[in-house]
Amino acid sequence: MAEKIVEEMRPFFDPKAVAIIGATNKKGKVGNVIFENFRINKERGIYKGEIYPVNPKLDEIEGYKVYKSVEELPGDTDLAVISIPAPFVPATMRDIAKRGIKAVIIITGGFGELGEEGKKMEREIYEIARANGIRVIGPNCVGVYVPDTGVDTVFLPGNKMDRPKSGPIAFVSQSGAFAAAMLDWAAGEEIGIGKMVSYGNKIDVDDADLMDYFIHDDEINVVTFYIEGVKDGRKFIEAAKRITKVKPVIALKSGRTEYGAKAASSHTGSLAGADTIYDAVFKQTGIIRAEDFEHMFDLAKAFAALKDKLPKGNRIGIITDGGGAGVMASDAVARFGLKMADLSEETVKFLRENFPPHAVPKNPTDVVGDTDAERYRIAIEGFVNDPNVDAIVIIVLFQVPLLEEEKIIDILAEYQTKSDKPIVAVAMGGKKTDYYARMLEEKGVPVYPTPERGVRAMAGLVKYAEYLHRVEGE
Amino acid sequence: MSAKEKALEVIESVLKSGRTALVEYEAKQILKAYGLPVPEEKLAKTLDEALHYAEEIGYPVAMKLMSPQILHKSDAKVVLLNIKTPEELKEKWEVIHENARRYRPDAEILGVLIAPMLKVGREIIIGVTEDPQFGHALMFGLGGIFVEVLKDVTFRIIPITERDARKMIREIKSYPILAGARGEEPADIDAIVNLLLKVSELVDDLRDYIKEMDLNPVFVYNEGEGAVVVDARIIVKEPVEKKEEEIGSDYKERCA
Repeated sequence: MAEKIVEEMRPFFDPKAVAIIGATNKKGKVGNVIFENFRINKERGIYKGEIYPVNPKLDEIEGYKVYKSVEELPGDTDLAVISIPAPFVPATMRDIAKRGIKAVIIITGGFGELGEEGKKMEREIYEIARANGIRVIGPNCVGVYVPDTGVDTVFLPGNKMDRPKSGPIAFVSQSGAFAAAMLDWAAGEEIGIGKMVSYGNKIDVDDADLMDYFIHDDEINVVTFYIEGVKDGRKFIEAAKRITKVKPVIALKSGRTEYGAKAASSHTGSLAGADTIYDAVFKQTGIIRAEDFEHMFDLAKAFAALKDKLPKGNRIGIITDGGGAGVMASDAVARFGLKMADLSEETVKFLRENFPPHAVPKNPTDVVGDTDAERYRIAIEGFVNDPNVDAIVIIVLFQVPLLEEEKIIDILAEYQTKSDKPIVAVAMGGKKTDYYARMLEEKGVPVYPTPERGVRAMAGLVKYAEYLHRVEGE
Repeated sequence: MSAKEKALEVIESVLKSGRTALVEYEAKQILKAYGLPVPEEKLAKTLDEALHYAEEIGYPVAMKLMSPQILHKSDAKVVLLNIKTPEELKEKWEVIHENARRYRPDAEILGVLIAPMLKVGREIIIGVTEDPQFGHALMFGLGGIFVEVLKDVTFRIIPITERDARKMIREIKSYPILAGARGEEPADIDAIVNLLLKVSELVDDLRDYIKEMDLNPVFVYNEGEGAVVVDARIIVKEPVEKKEEEIGSDYKERCA
């Protein structure tokens, strides 16, 4: 099974040649934006495959030969992206089948979400796909974005929406608009997205297929989902149980309330189930439920950096240079179901001997406002060596006068590498703090803007570690 | 006969009589087949049978009138408790039938359940509902206000593992009441785990037939003393011929 799903999905993420059906030279049209995405990425040397625009009314676009029909396409075409009106899609699918193309992204909307007639067309498309071994993403979606290979079917132009850099996070979204907004936002936040898939009405490729695929995708450390509804619950549960044993899955499920549920069902024609049932499914399959957008990416960031360094337990050590922030973090530890570590006598002794008398050798450890980077090193050294500490949250208020910014960044990065305990950092502040936070993240330490968010992200790591421990025992 | 065969016998006879709601007695026959703890009760069709069963079970007894038209028995006042003597039973036999007639003149009466008076325990509720996406889900919570007002319940998709069952019990907010708060003895948690697992097994086995199920209340006694299903309600459905495969549900085949 493994190789089959990997082989089936490959052309979506790394095609040898893409046919853009409905490509046009009219600026702003979907078929133009998608063509331009590929063309520009090819020019930049990121997209390495061929580009074959298909449009019966054109001879060439931007120097590319335009094919009159699918029939004319060269034999190496392994991905078709369709953006022509819905009523023409079934016939085009038949041509695609004849041409032997095995992967199709249908961007076009106006199918199942509009009612019976659309559903009938979807069924027809699916039957053709089924009979010919074609996998389909969509319809009614923005498709696929892979920064490493230059695949970009997101029909929102680059001058209106930024694209994120690559990274170990996969993002899967039922909603295309949400996916596009998220990519734009992730780009701004400098969060790396390795693969994005928006599957819209998911007549074929769905959450379960993607989970099975991502199990084998070494580029991806953590998979995030924006889910409105699931069609085949059993298939979803089985696939979720398979992937969560290998890598973490985070889900943001909308339609939590009655109102939300109704909105979801009219949106992509899918069914949104009762929220309590989703809670049950997530608990049983080890999927971590995100409360909101921010929570989802806070978790994703922590897992992206620390998936292979999960905490052994739930005892948290906190180091801070500001007392108030330490108290906030301690409150969050209780609130998110974690424990404050009881420092061992050796650690307390070690800290007392090496600290100046006014620093606080407890948990939270307060290195206080006149700290330099070396005092942090002492505290971290003590925590890292203490068998009672499972994970460390380090609050760095970069504003204090004697703290050498680059030195503290190097120290945190050094311990992140050499210690087997996960470290997350909290840096509260404005633009200057942001600048250092980015530097710290570049070096593999996830940074959060508040103690609450830092501790909550750590709680996600602890929860997933507990789940893995549990399933290993079964 | 296997548990499933016994259960199907009950279900099929209910469906044959044009009903989908089982009366308590029928529901408990199914529970019993799957080894769930139900009281030693007998369905009496006549007063003589009732007197005989009461003697067998031993006074005091409880009487519950079984009618497909009366599913909310306490509303109709057809549950009479603590009957201490044969004389009282004779008198209450008339009363219970009169109450039923007054509530629903057309009520078809299947008999009167003669049951032992149970020692009161901590009340829990176990339920089953069918979700259109994920299939049958199992609910657990404490009874009374905890479910009615506070909605302090938790769900899992069936089938569940023992670990799921233990987590369900611990994750409700009112768990301290079961664990033994304020010097109270802890409840028999293992008995609840056993109940949850058996309900999961039963529903997994009969998933084509079970639509809804409520075990409410279940009395749970102190550690080591077990639990007993006091009342039970099951709604069944005609098993549908497997619908023509929905789009995308031929996954296993694809992956074979």
